[in-house]
Amino acid sequence: MAASRPTRTAPRRPRRASQPRFGAYIRELRERLRKTDPSSSLRQVAQRIHVQPAYLSQVERGNVAPPSEATVRRLAKELGEDADVLLALAGKVSDDLQEVIRRRPTLFAELLRSLKAAPTHAVLRVVREVRDGKW
Amino acid sequence: MVTLEGDRLVFRFPNVHAEARLTVTFQRTLRIPDDDRHYPLPPGLGAFPLRHMDDYRRRLPKAWVERGGVLMPMHQAEAMWISFRGDYPMAVAVATGKVDAITGSPLTRGLHRGPQDYLVTPGQPWLDGFCVEQGVIRQFVAMPLGQGYSAEEQISRTAEHGGLQLVVHPLKAAAYRELQRERARISRRSTGEIARRAADMGLAPGGRMRQEVYQDPFAPSDWSQKHMGRCFITIVNTVLWPSLTGETPPSVSPTASDYTKAGLPWFEYYDPGAVALRGSDTLARVRSVKALSESKGVSVLPENQSVDVQRTTRIHALRPRRVRDGRR
Repeated sequence: MAASRPTRTAPRRPRRASQPRFGAYIRELRERLRKTDPSSSLRQVAQRIHVQPAYLSQVERGNVAPPSEATVRRLAKELGEDADVLLALAGKVSDDLQEVIRRRPTLFAELLRSLKAAPTHAVLRVVREVRDGKW
Repeated sequence: MVTLEGDRLVFRFPNVHAEARLTVTFQRTLRIPDDDRHYPLPPGLGAFPLRHMDDYRRRLPKAWVERGGVLMPMHQAEAMWISFRGDYPMAVAVATGKVDAITGSPLTRGLHRGPQDYLVTPGQPWLDGFCVEQGVIRQFVAMPLGQGYSAEEQISRTAEHGGLQLVVHPLKAAAYRELQRERARISRRSTGEIARRAADMGLAPGGRMRQEVYQDPFAPSDWSQKHMGRCFITIVNTVLWPSLTGETPPSVSPTASDYTKAGLPWFEYYDPGAVALRGSDTLARVRSVKALSESKGVSVLPENQSVDVQRTTRIHALRPRRVRDGRR
């Protein structure tokens, strides 16, 4: 009888509490808005992005992992922040970017690595400009 | 430099300042009734798609390709507002068919003060239409070019350009540094050839709305006249959008009546520290789509019944405004 081979599994990594910068960042944004707009309270923002206030509070304090992409996008809209900035802080890559990379994985992986250390003005040269013509 | 990032137009001036950046989107919205009542601001229903002109150049009229810029689909009689985002102050001239939407004058180079022919961001977060009176605008409504409805055709008597044009100038870096110091002080205190006529659209004046276009709080010398970013937004009739781009255009927006019946909010923008421009006599004389279509004996505006707005959300200006310093 052949000896069965035990399945090798990687030891379970302890769950990271959160992306602490994400929580602190959204809390700061929200509190700044609340100074001029009382509807930016934790409770009301939570209600508008369809989560429980207690959960949003935990996210802001970095006690739980950042929410789903859809929720991060709703939060970005609510706080007037760029969704890509919040997704990056949340340690996520948006679905549309994943799709772009999946279509031409080698090309885009190479492109991103080559731009890793490039200064901002060099990266901007790669971004396609809108051509201005005669009008 | 002007880049297209998703459906956002981004104007950057890295030679002036690393933070000199303005993001512009064109928002789908309700068409407010054209009934001479004054309505509050309608909501944003998502950004219109924008595409590089050059990606479809083989299918487009030569005249369009020559002007460059981007393409944007709009349904006939659909309304739109422009959203401006960015902390770095910019002076933005907005023209439709090369007619300034604030003064009604032909678009010319540079920034002018008598009368002011541009708006200033970030104090002015949105522009919904033509500035016809102090605190009143007439909504931007897309109509086919060549039928006489657009502001361009009514003012310049030609149907040559259509579309929408943006010309952006940044604040000089020195003035920005001074502004940052002032903001910090305030913060401490407060804590394929297609027949062109069929596809080309222009913007015409629709219903009246309460919106102020604010006076420039900076001195003329604070603006960098030599740095400029500009973009021509060609508005394409949605009927032809699929054949040009292979994409489905956005669906038709809900009517003002349906939106209001659903109990959804309209908006007001409130900035107690800002002074509103007087409005343009030229634009005040331009006839609205409804008035013009009635004189032609045709009906081009479906669903134009008046609505009683029950729910209005007031939005306060967020950023401290600069106090006018009298250097002029």
